Amino acid sequence: MTKHPSEALLALFAGGDLGSLRRWRVERHVAACTECQLEVSEFSELRAAVPAMMEPPEISWTKLAVEMKANIRLGLEAGECVSAGRSDGRGIFNVRALAVCGSLALLLAAFLLERPTPRIEPVRATEAAFLESSGSGIQSKTGDQSIMLLNTRARDARNVDYLASGNAMRARYVDSETGYVTVNNVYAQ
Amino acid sequence: MFMRSKVAGLIFAGAIALCGQETKLDPHSSIQINFPTDSPVLQLSTNVDESRATPRGGAMVVDLHMSLSLRNSGSRNIRGITLMVTAQEVTPGGKASVAVPSLDVAPGQSFPVRIDLRLLRPLQAGGGPLVKVSLDGVLFDGFDFYGPNRLNSRRSMTVWEMEAQRDRQHFKSVLAASGPAGLQREMLDSLARQAERPRIDVRVSRGGRAVSSAAAPEHMARFAFLKMPDSPVEAVDGWAEVAANEARTPTIQVVNRSSKPVDYVEIGWLVKDPQGHEFLAGSVPAAEGDLFLPPGRSGRVLQDTALRFSRNAGEPVSIASMTGFVSQVEFADGTAWVPNRLALQLSGLLRMVAASPEEQRLADLYRTKGLNAVVEELRKR
Repeated sequence: MTKHPSEALLALFAGGDLGSLRRWRVERHVAACTECQLEVSEFSELRAAVPAMMEPPEISWTKLAVEMKANIRLGLEAGECVSAGRSDGRGIFNVRALAVCGSLALLLAAFLLERPTPRIEPVRATEAAFLESSGSGIQSKTGDQSIMLLNTRARDARNVDYLASGNAMRARYVDSETGYVTVNNVYAQ
Repeated sequence: MFMRSKVAGLIFAGAIALCGQETKLDPHSSIQINFPTDSPVLQLSTNVDESRATPRGGAMVVDLHMSLSLRNSGSRNIRGITLMVTAQEVTPGGKASVAVPSLDVAPGQSFPVRIDLRLLRPLQAGGGPLVKVSLDGVLFDGFDFYGPNRLNSRRSMTVWEMEAQRDRQHFKSVLAASGPAGLQREMLDSLARQAERPRIDVRVSRGGRAVSSAAAPEHMARFAFLKMPDSPVEAVDGWAEVAANEARTPTIQVVNRSSKPVDYVEIGWLVKDPQGHEFLAGSVPAAEGDLFLPPGRSGRVLQDTALRFSRNAGEPVSIASMTGFVSQVEFADGTAWVPNRLALQLSGLLRMVAASPEEQRLADLYRTKGLNAVVEELRKR
C-alpha cells in the first residue's frame, strides 16, 4: 500500500478539484484503501451538509463609477453654489476639496461595507427524497435530513454488493468481526 | 482592524460550526428496542458505547453503532433474522432494516447483530427516541417464519435460504465429485467473480426524475430478455423511459407459465453502456399486492421510480441497451422459485449477479480460515 494522501488532497479529490495526474494517483490509492475511502466519503458528505458558500454578490462597477462621478460633480457644484456670493476666491479651493474628500470618503466607506464577502446560507437541499449508495453505506435523504445505514464493518469495502430494488436500496457484505453476511436495506420515503 | 476582526470572526464561526463538540449518546433516551413478548429471540444485551452526536453547522450528525446480543429462545434452528430500524423524527415515513441471512443458530445459542447508522437532522428537534429497533421476522429450519413481516422479510429470507440450499448442494456435489482440490477451485473462482463483478452506482428517486438537469432527449427503450429454462414466469415485453444515464418507470409484461397462481415476480435489470460494459443495475419488483397471476395469465410489473447510473464517483453511465431476466417468483401458496445454478452459469448471469449470501459466507470462510473450515461447514448439514 502506498503512503496515504494528505487530508487536503483527499478533500480536493472528494470535491473533484484535483488535476488529472493527481486525481489519477489519489484515485488509485483510494480504490485500494478502505481508510481513505471512508475519509473521501466523509468529505463528500460534509460538502453536501455544510452550507454552500455563495458566489460573491455581483457588483456593477459601471454603475458605481457613474455614481462616483455624479457625487464628485454634485460636491463641486455644491461648492460652487456656496462660493458664488463670495468676492475673494481664497476659500473656494478648500470647499471644493472638502466636498471631493467627503464624497470619496463616503464611497470608500460604502465600498468597504459592501465589498464581496462570503456569505453562509442555511442548508437548502432539494426537497425531493432520494436513495443513493456511497462508499460507506446507503442513504435516504429528504431536504436537510437523512438516514444512512453504514457498511463500515464490511470485510472488504470493494466487495459490498449494492442493489436498487423498487423503492429500496440494499447493501450486502460480510461483517469483518462476526463473519456473518449482513444485508442493509433503506427504503425511500 | 475592523475588517481583520470581521474575517477572524467569520473563520471562528465556521470552525465552531464545522468542528462542533462531540457528545456521547445516552442509550436510554436515544434508542428504543421493542421485541414482541412471545418472540423466539431474546435480547440479551445492547452496546452503543461507540455512538456519538456531533453538531455540524445547523445540523446534528448522529453516528449510532449498536451491537445487539440475541439468543434463540425457540425450539428450532434460526436461519435468518430481520430487524426493522425507524428514525421517525428524522425521516418521517422512512425506514430501514438490517438482516442477517445464512445463520445456523441452534436453540439456546446466542448471536450478535450489529447496526451502524448515521442520522443527519436539524439541531432543534423534538423529544422521543432517535431510533426504534423492532423485530420484523425470524426464519427457521424448514422455512417456518415468525414476525410481523411489515417489510416482507419473509419473502427475502425465504429466497436467501433457497439460494443457500442451492449453493450448498452445488459445493457439496463439487466436493463429492472432485474432492477438496475441486472445492478449492470453486472457492477461488467465487472470490474472483465477487471481486471482478462489474459494479455501478445507482441513485433512486420515487416517481419523476432522478435529476432535473438531464438535458438529453428522452426515448422509450425496450428490454431484451434472457430466458431461464425452468422459470415459472416468462417476461415477454418491457420498456423504460431513458434519457442519457437515467431510466424511469420500468414496465415489464409477464406471463405465468406454471400451474400455480403467482403473486410476486422480480425482474433483474442489466444495463449496457455504449462501450459494451454490462452491469447489474438493479431489480424491478412487482409492487406489493399489485400482481396476481393465475396460471396462463399475463400481467404487468411496474415501478414508478427513476434510476440514475454513474461510476467512479459521479461519472455518468449512458444507457445503450437493457436486458431483463426473471430473478425470483413467489407463488400464492408462499413457496418461491429462484434460478438454478446451471441456468445462471449457462446464461452468463453467474458473473453478473451478486453471489448468494451463503456463497459469499463460504468464500469468506475459505479466505479467512482455509479449505478445511469450508469442508467442515459443508458436512454440518
